[in-house]
Amino acid sequence: MNERDSFLRRLRSGLWGLPRPAIDDIIADYEGHFDAGRAAGRSDADVATALGDPSRLARELRAEAGLRRWEDERSLASALGVIVGVIGLAALDLFVILPVLIGIVTTLFAFLLVGLVACLGGGFALPFALVTNFPGFMGDRLQAALLSLGVLGGGASLTAFCVLFTIGLVNLLVRYGRAHYRLITAGSNGRLRD
Amino acid sequence: MDSNLVQFKKGVLELCVLALLARSDSYGYDIASRLSAAIDMGEGTIYPLMRRMQKDGLVSTYLVESSSGPPRKYYRLTEGGRNNLNAQKAAWTDFTRAVAAILDLDLEKTS
Repeated sequence: MNERDSFLRRLRSGLWGLPRPAIDDIIADYEGHFDAGRAAGRSDADVATALGDPSRLARELRAEAGLRRWEDERSLASALGVIVGVIGLAALDLFVILPVLIGIVTTLFAFLLVGLVACLGGGFALPFALVTNFPGFMGDRLQAALLSLGVLGGGASLTAFCVLFTIGLVNLLVRYGRAHYRLITAGSNGRLRD
Repeated sequence: MDSNLVQFKKGVLELCVLALLARSDSYGYDIASRLSAAIDMGEGTIYPLMRRMQKDGLVSTYLVESSSGPPRKYYRLTEGGRNNLNAQKAAWTDFTRAVAAILDLDLEKTS
């Protein structure tokens, strides 16, 4: 197997999971590059060296695709795509950021859970408060209803806050990912550096 | 290569591509070989950059039949790309002029 085939094969395997047309498009770009190199009288080995590490290129292309999807549609799946893509870039200082990130996400999840439970609990208690009052509750039905509404409202705001915070966090990750793209290689020896 | 230099080059790569395309439409291999000769960058990184610029609406593409092999993908600067180039160029010129002035000042003091 020559360098051209092995480069394209590694690139294709690195792009696994992207939509089929996107992969074909990217592969076609690099095939065209090898063709143009041949036409200019360069060997496949020479062109492959100048192109750089195909796995690294694939990671950049995948991460970029993930960031794009998040910008197009705000969904849980695309947020996960950003997180996985940025981690896939495997910047060294990510090992510093990762524990912090895990901490934040865990805390966020806990708050979200509390918010949802409060929301559900309040919503569930409200009809009872209006119809029968709570058994053993030291107030009238109006107080019970207000209490339920308060819990419901508090839960809803906590949930909304968590969602907003998550969106902000993912946007921050997008910027982090972009800032850490290593788009330049030390061309002469083809190695990637910071 | 000096890591500072890599950061500098990373910042101006897009500006250089815009400037090249402002002169004439071009295809990936041509852009990559001209830039790698001038600022010593890995040729493979041009394609992720071109994809991003295309999605940002800075460049558009069209295919040109070639006598040998499959059609070649050419990149053309869009109106948005031209505006972006002018803005970046002005910012770059101002910035480098200011830095050069400060560096010259330092030189005079020490000499």
